[in-house]
Amino acid sequence: MPHGYNAKILHIDLNNSQFSVEEPGEDFYRKYMGGSALAMYYLLRDMPPAVDPLGPENVLVLALSVLTGAAVSGQSRMTAAAKSPLTGAIGDSQCGGFWPAELKFAGFDAIVLKGKADKPVYLWIHDGEYELRDASHLWGKITGEVEAVIKQELGDDKIEVLQVGPAGEKGVRFAAIMNMSTRANGRTGMGAVMGSKNLKAVTVRGKARPTVADKARLNQIAKWGADNLSKSDIAGLSKYGTAETIGANQSTGTLPTYNYNRGVFDKWEAIDGTTMYDTILKGAAEGMQDREGRDTCYACTVHCKRIVEISDGKYKVDPRYGGPEYETIATFGSYCGVDDLAAIAKANQICNKYGVDTISCGATIAWAYEAFNQGKLTTEDTDGLDLTWGNADSMVKLTEMIANREGFGDILAEGSERAAKKIGRGTEAFLITSKGQEAPAHMPQVKRSLAVIYATNPFGADHQSSEHDPVYEDDFEYFADRLDMMGFTEPQKPRSLSNEKLRFTLASQHMYSALDSLNLCQFVYGPAWQLYGPTDIVEVVRAVTGWDDIDLDALQRLGERRLNMMRAFNAREGLDRRHDKLPEKFFDKALIGGVSDGWKIDRNEFETALDTYFKLCHWDVETGTPTRAKLEELGLDWVADQLNL
Amino acid sequence: MKVHLQLFSVLREKLPTEAMGRTVLYLDEGTTLAGILTMLDIKRKVVISLNGIHQPDHSHEVQDGDEVKIFSAVSGGADALLLN
Repeated sequence: MPHGYNAKILHIDLNNSQFSVEEPGEDFYRKYMGGSALAMYYLLRDMPPAVDPLGPENVLVLALSVLTGAAVSGQSRMTAAAKSPLTGAIGDSQCGGFWPAELKFAGFDAIVLKGKADKPVYLWIHDGEYELRDASHLWGKITGEVEAVIKQELGDDKIEVLQVGPAGEKGVRFAAIMNMSTRANGRTGMGAVMGSKNLKAVTVRGKARPTVADKARLNQIAKWGADNLSKSDIAGLSKYGTAETIGANQSTGTLPTYNYNRGVFDKWEAIDGTTMYDTILKGAAEGMQDREGRDTCYACTVHCKRIVEISDGKYKVDPRYGGPEYETIATFGSYCGVDDLAAIAKANQICNKYGVDTISCGATIAWAYEAFNQGKLTTEDTDGLDLTWGNADSMVKLTEMIANREGFGDILAEGSERAAKKIGRGTEAFLITSKGQEAPAHMPQVKRSLAVIYATNPFGADHQSSEHDPVYEDDFEYFADRLDMMGFTEPQKPRSLSNEKLRFTLASQHMYSALDSLNLCQFVYGPAWQLYGPTDIVEVVRAVTGWDDIDLDALQRLGERRLNMMRAFNAREGLDRRHDKLPEKFFDKALIGGVSDGWKIDRNEFETALDTYFKLCHWDVETGTPTRAKLEELGLDWVADQLNL
Repeated sequence: MKVHLQLFSVLREKLPTEAMGRTVLYLDEGTTLAGILTMLDIKRKVVISLNGIHQPDHSHEVQDGDEVKIFSAVSGGADALLLN
């Protein structure tokens, strides 16, 4: 009997409402483990190349791992993967919450969706049973309302609802899939894919908790985490949320400002996590924000999620839609020059109500702000909105217009790259995209390894695909206890792209890739600063599954396997090294102000680093495509066959 | 000499709640940033901003009138759990 997983994958063809249940064996779970790697298996197996991302042929996989639902922090996460309507490449996005654990308890490890329903439907999965139900009455409704209606309709307040908002229905190319109305599979437009299938929601409820191989061992690990949280440096994350990093990023010149033209924002204190804690967290007025203003995911001791409540003033915010993360505060805030935390929280609420990725949304608005401030856009283009840097009202209004695809918002809902192409006038120079996805709030001009990761990452610019440079640079305190174990003993000079730095980057990329295949939270588990280190990840896998032969090397291989499958998917779509680009502005325009004043990326150094990176990957250096030898080594002969290698 | 200090995130708990992370330190000449960390019993990994600029060298001596801001780096501290 398997420990940790159900050995059941639910397949649904929405064209004809046909269901089937696949029951893979242990070898399958040992090889792919879950999440992103498992999703890649089905996307490569079941989807032909070159499909329309918003057409019925696209396949959407919602996948858990062998660990999801176990009683330990940081495991209730789910991967949504499909071909991305934003990038045309592989789409991949992770969420937290309670939905992932609840799907496991309802009897399944993953859902593979293809086709398109002829009318809006929602999927109801409970205790091993499943059915499609009419969702006509839910179409067009915002997330909070849908959640309330479904719970009432099915008569159970503990049902978990995963859904697309109106933005997903309308094909906003960076629409998110939401759960709890606060948790998002945000990146790469997975909400638009789900909406294109007329699938409004996936609701789950179950009582069958999978067994754990060694409960005492798992309890010991969980207890250690709870006991040590306050002593760890993610204690700040727990109390002040991800936004606690605003100040440190300002200090080190890596807080993207004015659409990535600066690494410092002179009004940063107004949008810092400490300020949020003191002012707008629920309960702050009574000093009760530790209790009322924080939220968490299933079985997680960390409580990193925020709950904002604003009852007065221009921007009222309903606590049911949570509160902004660091990325959200940066993109709607410093990217746009906006220093109004209430306005940022309002934009976050709009995104959560309508189901929109806050990173791409805020960054696309920032692109429009730069175009406007450079005289390339006027109020005639923007439906009369004044996009002068710092205009909070226009930022909030544009967020709403994008979510509803109204007026100028309809153009921006295509993403900044398509918008720039449509508008022209030299606005392409203001883009901060890689493979069409807007860059998150960690700057490759400062953290140089991110230049390679943003450019080569199969699903576009991403900040959670590798460990960032500072932990392996010699002006930062070194994480000897954990990095030594992984063979990294020589911290490099700041902003270097040395071979040793790239070796570190790739190894950490494999680890982060494994985390997305184990569906483990990257704040809780990781190679350096996280609550649990590499050894602990191995211990959790062993305790839950009983696979005591799994070691760190096996998990690194899992991460490498997932990364190679993604590159292979892109190769099938005709993407190669030519698409591994950085925004021109990162090379051409030096940052202005603060410690990062004058910094930019050297084009030759970047291209040389790409050569080195591809060599380290054992991929073809000219094309950046995995070789047959590498794919065979990873047990992916069938993928090599697909590529005719 | 007088140095203006501001602590952020969980580091604020090193000062009385009502201080909201802010205080003025009266220090001897030659006091270093590391000395301030020791004085405050801060053992976490931190990022220090000196007069608005990141100062990674904690042996740096502060000067009269300096503005020191200390952030917790989102970074380790917990020992790895080695059950084997």
